[in-house]
Amino acid sequence: MGSTTLRLYLTCIRNTLDAAMCLQNFPCQEVERHNKPEVELKTSPELLLNPVLICRNEAEKCLIETSINSLTISLKVKQADELENILTKKFLRFLSMRAEAFQVLRRKPVQGYDISFPITNYHCEEMQKQKLIDFIVQFMEDIEKEISELKMSVNTRGRLVATEFLKQFI
Amino acid sequence: MAVMSVHQFAQCITCHAWSPDQSMVAFCPNNNEVHIYRLVEDKWEKVHVLQKHDQVISGIDWSARSNRIVTSSHDRNSYVWNLEGSEWVPTLVILRLNRAALCVQWSPKENKFAVGSGAKTVCICYYEQENNWWVSKLIRKRHDSSVTSVSWHPDNILLATTSTDGKCRVFSTFIKGVDAKDSKKSTSDMKFGELIVQLDLSSSWTFGVKWSPSGNTLAYVGHNSMIYFVDDVGPSPLAQNVVFRDLPLRDVLFVSERTVIGVGYDCNPMVFAADERGVWGFVRYLGERKTVSSGSRYGSQFSEAFGKFYGQSKYGVGNDAVETSKTRGAVHDNCINSIIPLGEHGTLTRRFSTSGLDGRIAVWDLENEQDLLEL
Repeated sequence: MGSTTLRLYLTCIRNTLDAAMCLQNFPCQEVERHNKPEVELKTSPELLLNPVLICRNEAEKCLIETSINSLTISLKVKQADELENILTKKFLRFLSMRAEAFQVLRRKPVQGYDISFPITNYHCEEMQKQKLIDFIVQFMEDIEKEISELKMSVNTRGRLVATEFLKQFI
Repeated sequence: MAVMSVHQFAQCITCHAWSPDQSMVAFCPNNNEVHIYRLVEDKWEKVHVLQKHDQVISGIDWSARSNRIVTSSHDRNSYVWNLEGSEWVPTLVILRLNRAALCVQWSPKENKFAVGSGAKTVCICYYEQENNWWVSKLIRKRHDSSVTSVSWHPDNILLATTSTDGKCRVFSTFIKGVDAKDSKKSTSDMKFGELIVQLDLSSSWTFGVKWSPSGNTLAYVGHNSMIYFVDDVGPSPLAQNVVFRDLPLRDVLFVSERTVIGVGYDCNPMVFAADERGVWGFVRYLGERKTVSSGSRYGSQFSEAFGKFYGQSKYGVGNDAVETSKTRGAVHDNCINSIIPLGEHGTLTRRFSTSGLDGRIAVWDLENEQDLLEL
C-alpha cells in the first residue's frame, strides 16, 4: 500500500518536473549585466509561474516553484516520531552543508521544508534534464530508506549499550 | 528522413546564422565570442572568431545581400561586423540600452535592424551616412516586460514583438529618410513607434514570432504549450490558438504560407499546417521519436519501468539501450532554441537549420517528406 502511493507520488513529481524544467538563460531585468535565478529573487512577478504543491499525506509534501530561468524543489520528509525528527534534521543538515559538491542543493531549505534543490538554466545546459529529474526522484526514494536505517541502527545501538550496562547489576 | 546533417560544434549554442551562400555558419558557443566555421570538403573548420562582447551573445543575424553580421549581447551592446579583406571589423552601435539585448534581426531591405531588450524596449537602428555610424531609435513605454523576440514584416516597416508579459505587439517603424512613404497607407500608421495591434492571447510568456512570407499571417508561441496564428493583422485580426500536448516551443518558422515548423523543449521539430478552410492544426513531429510503449508506464508493468529508471540513474550513463519514455529522436538531446531558414528569402524555404543547447546544428530538408509537401 505504502509502495503504491510512493510510486504515484513520484510519478506526479516527475511529470511536474518535466514540465517545470523548461528553463532558459534570462538576464536580470533589475540590475544591468547581471544574471540571477528569478525564483530566488522574486522581484518580477511576471517571470514567476504558479508554485505547485504535491502532497502525499499531511506529513509529506513537495513544493515546486518555477520561474523563467530557475526552479526550486522543496521537500518535507515524513517524520513519525521525535527520533526521526532529529535524525532527519541532522542527516539533511549534513548534506546541505556540503551543497557545493551536489551543485543542485541549497544550503538552507525553504521555510517550512526539510531540503531544497535549486536548479538553474545553467544546470540544464551542462547536464541532461532527464538525469536531473532522475536524481531528484532517486533522492526521494532513498531518503526514506536512509532515515529508517539510521533509526534502526540508533535503536540497536541503544539496546546493546543498555544490555551491557545492565549486565553489571545481574 | 528529414534531417540532412547534424554537427556538434560546441557544448551549448545560444544562436546561429548562415552566410548568404550557406558555406559558413556563425554561432555563439554560450560565451562572449562568435565562432564562424566554413565547410571545407565535408569538414567544418573554424575560420574566424569575433571577440568584442563582454557577455554571452543572445542574437546573431547575417544579412543576405550586404553580407554584414549584427550581434546583440547581454552586455547591452550590439556590433555590426563588416568583412574587410579577410577580417571582420566591428562597428559599435550605440543602442542606449540599460539592460541586456535579447534578440536582433535585419529588416528585409537590410537598411535597418531591430533589437529587443530586457529594458522593456525595442531599438530600431539605421545607418546614418553623414556621420558614418549606426543610430538607434527606441520604442519605449509599450512593453511591460522584456522583449524576447522580434520579426520584420516583408514591407520593411511593420515589426512584431513578443515579450515575457504574454503579449504580441505590432509596431510601425517608419523612419523619415530611410523608408519611402507608401501612398496607400494613411499617415497615422506611419508614425514611428505607433502600436498597430496588441494581441493578448497568451497567459504565459511569449517567444518566437514570425510573419508568413506574404505578411498576411503572424505566428508566435506561448510558454503554456500553445501556438497562436493570427490572420489579417490589422484593426480586426482573426486569431487561432492551437494547444498541443507536449512541452512548450521556443521558436517558429514559416516554410510556406500555410506550413509552420515549431521547435522547443521537446527537442523535436513539430509541423503545423492550415487546411483549405484556413484552420491551423498540429500535423506531426519531424524527427524520429523513440518512445517506449506507453503501456509500460502504468499498470502492472509499473514497477518494472521504475526499475529501469532506477537502474539508469544509479549507474549513470551505462545502459543506453534502456531509454526513458521521454527520450526523443537522436538529432537533438536538449532544448532547440533557434530555427533559421536556408535559402532565398522567398516563399518556399524547404531547407532550414536548428541549433540547440546540446551544441548541435542540424540541417533539415523537407524534400523527402511527401505528406508535408502536399500541404
